[in-house]
Amino acid sequence: MEELILTLKEQIIDALNLEEIAPEDIDNDAPLFGDGLGLDSIDALELIVILDRFYGIKLANPAEGKNIFKSIRTIADYVATNRTK
Amino acid sequence: MTHTIAITGLGIICSIGNDAPSVLDSLRKGESGIRRMKYLPSKHTHLPVGEVQLSNGEMKHMLGITSSEPMSRTALMGAIAVRQALAQAGIEDVSDKRIALISGTTVGGMDLTERYFERMKSDDSLLWLPQSNDCGDSTKEIAAIAGLNSAEVCTISTACSSALNSIILGSEMLRRDEADIVVAGGSEALSLFHLNGFNTLMILDKEQCRPFDDTRAGLNLGEGAAFVVLQRDTEGLAYVVGYGNRCDAFHQTASSENGEGAYLAMKDAMDMAGLTPDDIQYVNAHGTGTPNNDLSESAGLKRIFTESMPAVSSTKSFTGHTTSASGSIETVICVLAMQNGFIPANLGWKNQAFGAITPTMGAEGVELKNVICNSFGFGGNDSSMILSAEPHSFTDSKSATPQVEVVADVEISSVEELSQLREFVSPMESRRMGKLMKAAHLAALRALKAANVECPDAIVTATSRGMLETSMQFLDDMLNGGEELLKPTLFMQSTHNTLSSAIAIRTKCHGYNTTYSQGEESLQWAMRDAERLIATGKAQTVLVGLYDEVTPIFAEFAKRAGRQVPQELYARSIVLTRK
Repeated sequence: MEELILTLKEQIIDALNLEEIAPEDIDNDAPLFGDGLGLDSIDALELIVILDRFYGIKLANPAEGKNIFKSIRTIADYVATNRTK
Repeated sequence: MTHTIAITGLGIICSIGNDAPSVLDSLRKGESGIRRMKYLPSKHTHLPVGEVQLSNGEMKHMLGITSSEPMSRTALMGAIAVRQALAQAGIEDVSDKRIALISGTTVGGMDLTERYFERMKSDDSLLWLPQSNDCGDSTKEIAAIAGLNSAEVCTISTACSSALNSIILGSEMLRRDEADIVVAGGSEALSLFHLNGFNTLMILDKEQCRPFDDTRAGLNLGEGAAFVVLQRDTEGLAYVVGYGNRCDAFHQTASSENGEGAYLAMKDAMDMAGLTPDDIQYVNAHGTGTPNNDLSESAGLKRIFTESMPAVSSTKSFTGHTTSASGSIETVICVLAMQNGFIPANLGWKNQAFGAITPTMGAEGVELKNVICNSFGFGGNDSSMILSAEPHSFTDSKSATPQVEVVADVEISSVEELSQLREFVSPMESRRMGKLMKAAHLAALRALKAANVECPDAIVTATSRGMLETSMQFLDDMLNGGEELLKPTLFMQSTHNTLSSAIAIRTKCHGYNTTYSQGEESLQWAMRDAERLIATGKAQTVLVGLYDEVTPIFAEFAKRAGRQVPQELYARSIVLTRK
């Protein structure tokens, strides 16, 4: 799980172009949207592309992302359970 | 002296008909033009679209074009609509008249570029394409095909409100006696580029769209063109009596919860027309069918109309969302409704959505004295126009001489300078910004600082190619990745108005906001607009910008074709004020 968490952080930093943020700067349990990291709806769409590209998970509706993208840990849990690649 | 602005001719081609009578017929019969893809060669065939039911060859035949050279659907549809409008207005010889053609488009000739892009990399015979396919060129092509060779040509690119802003510009030009006849509207062909782009935003419905319905799940893209002939002090089919152009200044791809931009645009239009909510019988809503737009627009409508809500419908379940052309397509639909005494239905609506307005399912035998046409674009470029069956007089604004002063003028032309953006924008905030967006912000924020202006009254932007780097990247990914796994971040920056609206979001400027995309003449048009705004008292301070970039592949095309290669990166921001 720790390995998946690190990989996810690296993929997110790259896809969202978070220039000055290192993986260790992102708390595994901190909220990604709103008060936490401060991501928005476009970032959520980029996270959906990450799930599809690297893990073969397709979300049909952006609203599904709401619970999955709460924190790095919730994404990792979802990926671990649902990944097809 | 006072003047009236009349609509004397209509031209329209879209998925529900190739001319005004057939569009009228479909509207009254409730026949939608949303169908399975027939002409667009996309792999996303599960997405229904509103295509014009003609091939490019059939359109060329209609126009009497014998050349076998590839032509953009944007130009072909535009020329068909312009010719219809001129014919209805009875305009044949324009040699002794000052005539202007103003078109709204974002896609321009992208339908051709995406088809030949890979071949252009090695085939020199196709190198004319990248130079002749930007927005401004597609309007020039429309003018040439429609026989308007002496016309002043201008292109507005404010995403989905482009065509309505063209009609607003045309009306302003007539008010100031800058032309005798204006042909204004917009044209937009379906392209793989924007179908895939909207798909990355996950706002395309797989079924026929249902604007304002509780189960609405997005929009269907459509295509088409519509133009109106505008003339002063003459009898018309309807009259332009008020308009507003505002910026929601909220988010690049989302509308605010309280519909601020929509509200302000409608309020300006009502104030200009001197009308109250009770005077309006019908609103043709922007109503795209996305959960966000329809709720935000409903909030704006409720703020304007409170207890006196008129009949409201979106006609996008007929035509599909014709993006940059939607403003003129829906203007023509409004005029047809007024002339024929009916209200078009909001097709597909069944379930009341919480917080949303209740649209009309259509009515016959009604008298429409005043109607509102709404048109909103990405970045919050929101415009609204009021058409009336009776002429209203405007005071001639020609006598208002502009006393304009340049109080700041800043240029950025090197990539190295961009690191200085840090003074104004945090790395987190600039995470999605391409080079040109950074340069535009740096120039604009420096100019505003030098002018000691926190928030200008209006933002007017010029760009001939927009954010080419991100657009080309998206195009490349799309062509080489089989229309899969594309990045929304790249697409959302591909509309030309992205620069102008992002600066509005940054400066919280809800004022007038527009983008000109007419090649080398873009800045002249922008300056002319800024001076007009100041002269007519609509703004005291205007931020004008010229922002353009080229990419290595674009530069290589230019070199191989023996043309001058434009500067890699150029941003210039000017602050104008009233003297």
